[in-house]
Order: sequence, then C-alpha cells, then structure tokens
Amino acid sequence: MTDSSPVHAAKDLFVETSDGPRLLGSRCDTCKAPYFPSSEACHNPDCDHSDIQPAHFGPHGTLWSVTVQNYPPPPPVVAPEPYSPYAVGLVDLETDGLRVIGRLHVEDPTSVKVGGPVELILAPLGSGQDGHEVISWQFEPR
Amino acid sequence: MGEVAVLGIGMHPWGKFPEKNLNSICRVAVDAALADAGVSWKEVGAVAAASSRFSGGKGWGLNGNDIVEDMGSTGLPVYNLSAGCAAGSNAFNVGHMMVASGAHDVVLVVGGEKMPKGFIQTSGLEDETDPEYLRQRCVGLPGPGFWALLTRQRMEEFGTSHEDLAAVAVKAHKVGTHNENARFRQLFSLEDILNSNMVSDPLRLYEICPVSDGAAAVVLCSEEYARKKASNPVWAASSAVATARFDDGLPRGLGCVPSPWRTHHSEARISVAKALEGAGIGPKDLDLVELQDNTVYYELAFPEEWGMCEPGESESLLHQGETLPNGSMPINPSGGFLCFGEATTAQGLFQICEVAWQLRGEAGERQVPGAKIGMAQSIGLGGNGTATVLKR
Ligand SMILES: [Zn+2]
Repeated sequence: MTDSSPVHAAKDLFVETSDGPRLLGSRCDTCKAPYFPSSEACHNPDCDHSDIQPAHFGPHGTLWSVTVQNYPPPPPVVAPEPYSPYAVGLVDLETDGLRVIGRLHVEDPTSVKVGGPVELILAPLGSGQDGHEVISWQFEPR
Repeated sequence: MGEVAVLGIGMHPWGKFPEKNLNSICRVAVDAALADAGVSWKEVGAVAAASSRFSGGKGWGLNGNDIVEDMGSTGLPVYNLSAGCAAGSNAFNVGHMMVASGAHDVVLVVGGEKMPKGFIQTSGLEDETDPEYLRQRCVGLPGPGFWALLTRQRMEEFGTSHEDLAAVAVKAHKVGTHNENARFRQLFSLEDILNSNMVSDPLRLYEICPVSDGAAAVVLCSEEYARKKASNPVWAASSAVATARFDDGLPRGLGCVPSPWRTHHSEARISVAKALEGAGIGPKDLDLVELQDNTVYYELAFPEEWGMCEPGESESLLHQGETLPNGSMPINPSGGFLCFGEATTAQGLFQICEVAWQLRGEAGERQVPGAKIGMAQSIGLGGNGTATVLKR
C-alpha cells in the first residue's frame, strides 16, 4: 500500500477556519493594500509607511476571466489522472480588493461564464508524482 | 546628451540549431553587425549584452564575457543585463546611454539564446518564494494560460471572435513568409489556424509563439563617428525602460490589486509613452511598430492601450489590411514572434534590427513604403518593459 494521504500544494497559503476556507495573505495597515501571497513590504508607491499584517481573504468573488487548460502541463503542475482539461479563473474577491488566480472546481470546464459568482473551496488538484493527493485552493461557480 | 546612430545591424536566423552552441550563433550576429557598420572589433569601446537565462554565460548569465573572449579580449568593459524577455532591448538602452553620454563612441549590443524544449516553464526549482513555481504547483497555469485569461477577457469586453484571433496569425505569416531570418515562413489559411490544437482555450497552437534559438546584434555610435562612416544612418530617437505599476491589475504571481483602468501591461504602456515623448511624436505618428506578440492577443490589445487606435478598433483595422506593411498602421512587418518563435533575450534586438532595415528601405517584400520612424517594444518577466524609437 502506498501512502496517498493528502498534502497541501504549498505551505501557509490557505487555511480551513470555522467560517470555511480562507486564503492566507497580508494587508498593509496603512494603505489597506492586500497581498497574496503575503509580502515583506507594501508595494504601493503612494503609501509612505509599510505596515504588513496577516490577513484572510475570501470566500466570495466574481470571475474576471477564465481559460481551459487543454493539454497536460509538465510538473510541478498537478492534474487529474488520467488527464482531463481543467479551467483556471482570475477572480475578483468581494470586499477584499484582491484579484487572484485559482483552479475552478467544476464538472464541465467549458461551461464556466465570465462575470459569474464563485466561492472559495479547498479541494484536490490530482495526485502528485509521489502519489500524494495534492490539496489547493479552488473556486466553485455558484 | 548626444545623438546616437544605429550604424550596424546583424542577425543569426531564428530556428532550432542543436548542432550549434550559443557563442557561435552570437558570433554570426556580431560579425554581421560589425561588417554592416564597417567597424572593426578593436574600435568597439564597450559591450552591452543580454544575460541569457537558459544557455550559459559561464552559468551566471555572463554572455557578454563569452562573446568578448571569442571576438578578442581587448580589455573593454562588458555589461550583462538581465530583464527576462526584455533583456535585449534593456541592453540596447544601456548601450544607448553609454553613447549618448559621451562615455563611448562605439558600443556593441548583443543578445542570443538557445532555448530548451516546450513552452517556457519555471526555473525547475521547488522554491515556494518563486511566484512562477507557486502558480504552476498550486493552480496549474502555464504561460499560454496566462495569455488566454487576457484573451478571454478581451472577447467578453469587445466581442473578439476565434476568427479574429486566427486572422492575426494568418496576417503574421503573410508578411513573415518574406523574411529570410524567420523560422516559420509557411503561409496559413484561417482554417489552418482554427484547426490547430486548442492549447489554452481560447488560444490555439498557431496563435502562440513557440521557443526558438537565435541571436541579434546592433552597433551604436556617436553622431561624429556616424558622419565619418555613413551618409544617411538610422538614428535612435529615444530608448525607454520601465517597470510595472503597483495597480495595473495584472497578477504576475498569484494575486494583485484590481486595476482602475483597462490597461493591463503598465510596463509596456509606460515605456512606450516615455519613448514617444522622448522622440517628440504621438502614437499615430509611427510608420511601423514591432511589438511583442507572444500571442495574437497582444497585436490586438497593445495598439489600443498605447493610443495608436481606439479601444475595440483593432479587429476591424486588421480585417481591412491596415496592419499590413502597406496599411495605415503597420504592425510586425517582420512576421513577429509568431513567425520567429521566442529566443527570449534576443527578441528585443531582432525587433530593433527589423525597424532599422525598414527605415533603410531594405526590407524587400515586407517593406513599409516610405517608413521614416518606427518603434520596437518588448516586455519581460518581473514587469520589465522597453520601447525604442528609431528614425531616419
Ligand atoms: Zn501600504
């Protein structure tokens, strides 16, 4: 038996809270600019005092654009096995002032409509080269 | 600041050359540029070189040093510039400043690359501080997918169709077929493009530039030096470099602040605006533009973002033939990245070579009639942007 227990795609980028999944990033307390992943310093040229504090983002957003990945990209991309095309979206998160990319969790990737509402979830991307199921943040059309 | 002449230009054709090493490819371009300028190697006062990411330079991107050793180690200063795919034109900018400032009379600018197979990928390191790695690992969005997101957004906003996208590629090959330095010189019908494999929906295989090997070089010199060598040289009217703005709405990693404007590649918009201002002209005064068409999307979006035409107007200009060499807004008469493929750090210099050939009237079947002023534009990883205006 191989160990296929789930692993996170990356450390410290998302978390399951009592209110549901959230992205882990930061926000500048001075100018309120959001950062995902977190930033060491505020990038806003009009902000004169970088004050980076941890922040949670999500879960509600609107799909700004979408693409369907029709061929299997090489590792480190984790894809369904056997390969089936998946959708990736660019999502504007409500209230957070953050635009973020994420895979779309949807049965038919070609059915996704730009401008529609989506919600943050944590779900497997597929299995990595070592056989572990790889969990990442994804967006589910609502 | 003194005037700067583009005295010599030279290229090694783009293609795949597994039997050649990078230095030999670069040397072909350098020899051609020196011969074109009528300049001997010992007259070169300094070298500005694009650092190659994929092919050596002593393993540290010191490609300029490799080239100098092969040409003859005269002790001259070498600058190795790194700016992703904008490195070639970034090196041009540094060479331009060295001549304009009076520091050197003659400067060689060179960029060359031998590319690994497949689309441009991550560094290959599992480095969670590398946003490109995280984008692949956590989401699975390769380069063409990023361009596809921008393309889909344009389709939603302006009603751009799959046929419009394919028509850009048809037009690219219609002009690129006349370019002996281009790698993909075959003609394609609209059906050929539409029948090519869907890579990252809505972008198809023939709508995306693949990777290539290639090298290009430029000899820059001062006005006084140029007057001795040439009766009517091409001049660098301006050379500009910029980086992306904080709030341009383009997530170069995983996330960003949404943009208040439509413009997405702010590094391109800013460098183009600076170059046009430096040349004392407006966007509609350009006789031709060589722009970075990693995919057909950019040939539609960029002219609008820079004010060459109105937002949403590019498709109709394309279909009316206005972006062909004999149209009112010629774009990529070289055939562009779609016909060359991308040799990353050499791209910015092949564009400058093409603009110079056009201004000299030496572009043959792809000549823009009466071209007097043209621009080359490139962007690179990290939010680097460059623009160069040449005039005659
Ligand atoms: Zn701030």
